[in-house]
Amino acid sequence: MATAHIQEKFASIRKGLLEFLILQMIASDKMYVAEMLQRLSTTEFATQEGTLYPLLSKMRREGAVDYDWQESEAGPPRKYYKLTAKGKAQLEELRDYWAYINQTLDSLGRGESCAKSSRSM
Amino acid sequence: MRKVITIDVNGHLYQLDEQAYDDLRAYLAHAEARLGADPDRAEIIRDLEQSIGEKLLRYLSPEKSVVAASEVGQILQEIGPVDGVGADAPHTRAADASSGTGPAAQARRLYLIQDGAMIGGLCNGIAAYFQIDSTFVRFAFVVLAAIEMFYFERPPVVSAGLYAVLMFIVPYAKPFSERTAPGTHQSIPQKVRRRVERVKAAFGGLQHHTQ
Repeated sequence: MATAHIQEKFASIRKGLLEFLILQMIASDKMYVAEMLQRLSTTEFATQEGTLYPLLSKMRREGAVDYDWQESEAGPPRKYYKLTAKGKAQLEELRDYWAYINQTLDSLGRGESCAKSSRSM
Repeated sequence: MRKVITIDVNGHLYQLDEQAYDDLRAYLAHAEARLGADPDRAEIIRDLEQSIGEKLLRYLSPEKSVVAASEVGQILQEIGPVDGVGADAPHTRAADASSGTGPAAQARRLYLIQDGAMIGGLCNGIAAYFQIDSTFVRFAFVVLAAIEMFYFERPPVVSAGLYAVLMFIVPYAKPFSERTAPGTHQSIPQKVRRRVERVKAAFGGLQHHTQ
């Protein structure tokens, strides 16, 4: 678990990744907000409805997600969010970009260790 | 004896104690303000209200019919402050905690609150804004009027004028069901006319009381 100092440094990155994570979560099956919150709650990306509703609404406006109303046994009908074709394409793009970022981090890290070892020679 | 207020959240009625109602109304007013010009503002507020309604049920049982302020506080803490993400990225809970953008740090808005109002709800609104007892605000207006009448020996034009001007420019805190109902949009002339009427009605009612 990262220290509070490191968490603070990554705050804006976590914010930016939330949209990616939503697409990732609903890629396999549609999901309602409470389920998303539940799944995120045990991760570094734990968030709240006050954040999620406006974000989902923006993603829907942009055409990446859509929802269906489904009856619930426990209470009123729920909005089940699902990926649209545009959302699927966006998710693929995000996955590729994320892999590229990781690759860059790795290669820069290797470059640093190479530089160190060459200096020590 | 305590005052209980019945609210309508997405077609379901709930009873809240007065402080719980004030807290909930303030949260929704902040949420609306934060969402600003978001085109889906009404829908987001409805989603939040539905979620609040589901969570309110947790605190009700055949033996307990009223939700207390502390319980509403827990619900609102769980839901978290609303982010205006029209263009920006969302806040995560960790980011909120570190940057101090919790409910208390959000911009507050002044509203006219008609529940329990004596004239137009301005003193109630000012009291809710500063989180003080509305009696103190009313007392301040009475003191101001008394100073004008007895010290300056003139009718209380400044205090009454200030009240009327604020009543004209400060918006009403609408009940939840009215706020999200379709067809409630008004044009600017309609709004001005309505506000003039409400100032007249408030002061007409006051004259009637004092006669």
